[in-house]
Amino acid sequence: MFIEDIRNDFYNVVLGNRVLLLVHYDVDAICACKILQDLFKCDNISYTLVPVGGISELKSAYDENNEEIKYVVLVNCGGTIDLVDILQPEEDVVFFVLDSHKPTDICNVYSDGQVRLIYKDDEENIPNFDDIFRDEEEEEEEEQEGREALEAVIERRRTRKAWEERRHTLMFNYTQFSYYGKPSSCVVLELAVRVSRVDAGVLWGAAVGGSAQAALAVRPPARRLLDMEPLQRHVAAASRGDDQRYAQVVVDKDLNLPLYRWWSVESALRHAPLIAPLLKLHTASGNARVRQLLADMGFPLQQARQAYRSMDVELRRSLLSSLEGVAPRHQLPPPAHTALLLRRAHAPPVPALDAVYAIMALIEHESIPREEGFQLALASLQVCGENDSLKQGIAAAKKSLEAVARMSQSTLASRGLMLAGPFNYFIVQEGATESLSLRGPLWLGEAARWAARAGGSRRPLLASSPLSDGRCLLLGIPPRFDQEPRNLFGAAFEQAAAKSGASVSLDYVDTSVVSLPIAQRAQFLDALTALLA
Amino acid sequence: MFGEKVIELIKEAERNRGTLDQFNDETIRQIIEEMHVLFKLNMNDANSTTENKSLWTTVQVRHSALERNKRCLLAYLYNRMNKIKTLRWEFGSVLPPDVRELLSDGEYDWFSKYSTNLATYMRSLGEDIGYHGIDLTENLRPPKSLYIEVLCVSDHGKFELEDGDVIMLKKNTRHFLPASECQTLIRKGILQQIV
Repeated sequence: MFIEDIRNDFYNVVLGNRVLLLVHYDVDAICACKILQDLFKCDNISYTLVPVGGISELKSAYDENNEEIKYVVLVNCGGTIDLVDILQPEEDVVFFVLDSHKPTDICNVYSDGQVRLIYKDDEENIPNFDDIFRDEEEEEEEEQEGREALEAVIERRRTRKAWEERRHTLMFNYTQFSYYGKPSSCVVLELAVRVSRVDAGVLWGAAVGGSAQAALAVRPPARRLLDMEPLQRHVAAASRGDDQRYAQVVVDKDLNLPLYRWWSVESALRHAPLIAPLLKLHTASGNARVRQLLADMGFPLQQARQAYRSMDVELRRSLLSSLEGVAPRHQLPPPAHTALLLRRAHAPPVPALDAVYAIMALIEHESIPREEGFQLALASLQVCGENDSLKQGIAAAKKSLEAVARMSQSTLASRGLMLAGPFNYFIVQEGATESLSLRGPLWLGEAARWAARAGGSRRPLLASSPLSDGRCLLLGIPPRFDQEPRNLFGAAFEQAAAKSGASVSLDYVDTSVVSLPIAQRAQFLDALTALLA
Repeated sequence: MFGEKVIELIKEAERNRGTLDQFNDETIRQIIEEMHVLFKLNMNDANSTTENKSLWTTVQVRHSALERNKRCLLAYLYNRMNKIKTLRWEFGSVLPPDVRELLSDGEYDWFSKYSTNLATYMRSLGEDIGYHGIDLTENLRPPKSLYIEVLCVSDHGKFELEDGDVIMLKKNTRHFLPASECQTLIRKGILQQIV
């Protein structure tokens, strides 16, 4: 069931009880969790926080921690599966689900109080209860004699069959695409507003969570605008008054180049996911195109190659306007966007976009285990004081972006982007230098989007990278993901898995990501081609 | 000159106000000897010269010296007693051996009795509201917050809180727990406080 009022029906219910917080490994979830933690801390709600990476981890984390716990809060996980069926909880345990993964499982929606969904999205077309569930008992009406009875039975069977068909189509339409809803961190921001505890930390968490969906292109641009509107309102409200605060979140026009403040302009351009693929750096003329762009902007190479912070002040000021001026001439998208920045006293501003990449790099770091990366990512969201985790994250993000760029360029240059009927795919070979950086779904997805933008074709794209112990990760991105990110691969993978008989693990919360043994990958792709053709 | 030793003793105690010194057995013995001598002299003079009033002044001076010695000794002991009392609050009922050496036998007896009294009192506290005593020595200053955020750095297994809740301490999970319950685990290195 959906809760009506986030404060009375959620926050006031858990107030004073122990809470188990299960948080998925993604940027939005970590931001939402950070805000929730701050709220819980002020109200002395004792909690246990366990990061979970998939459905099996969710189950084991629940089994280990369920003693004496009556309230479980799930952030960005659990909404798309039937929680009661999978976790087998006691009668009096209540699950609060805050999940931006859609579609929500129908059993969670119509649960009578045990599973409570915190946010109701208007865009979800949830089928009506009567169309999906039907009392079996009404079938067993009293037996009647004679011809009339027979007719009645046949009539009943006919209506039942019609109902079943209708249910099937409804469910098919409801579950055929997997997509993302409003960012969880923005929902938690609403909660913080309701309990009047909005400060720079809360706003920053929501800003980073909201920007993550823009950076990962998982939400249509129009929806994104609507999601960010309340956030910008609260940012404006908070920035009114004194300017002497230590940390402040501001809305500003900024370049859509990740990490350019910590890099050189040339490197930032070469690694920007929105611009670099269109410069076609994998071709022979790619480098010339970058130099032409810099020359048109009026940036000497020497300046463009040194750290942004040491660049000529005049050039630094004119970077935004000059890049904006030359972008149309090079057929590039407008490079500026409305950005949220964290301004602190005596420190360079941090754009939310950079924090997104830093957190992505921390939770899918090539050497740091995921659990430790999660702790670092939480620490990197703090707004005041020296933030070593953020620096570490930014350094790691540069390396990962470089790996993404190298990987997708070498794939395109060596014609590694294969065409298989209805879709394209590429495979990161085991032992490639980039394979360690790309073994997580976030960065592999980044590489896939890069290749799709650079390849320029309007087909869906699959990407695969090796995991440990002979398995590999496979993910799919839809065609035109920039505009319409609804993903058809969730349902397709499920059916292809059933048809090909490969031992595919559908453990990821995002259904468009699966893992399977490398040996069975070709067989699975064949099944998928047959299915989608 | 009368009372010189006792002044030395007091000065010595005055020099180290914050810390506890070795119990000065030797000097105290000498002071008490001096007091015995003074007392004997006074007794002799007072008995032999009930008629002769010329010695009265001498007796009076000796008596003042006696009283002064007594007062200073008591001050010395009282001062030490207060320091020992704070030791109980700082170290708990078991003293480290190096501190134990500084105490005289009498002082140690007093310390044990004080300790027992305090323990009995703390056990009796809060019985009416269902608690089995409160450890008064735990928070000598009010804590900044009752709960602290901790990160579990090694697998420990189940841990039962005072209110009966059981939590699972597994590596890389975060918990927000009552500060009093975490202290020992933090010292053991299982939890790490996040500031």
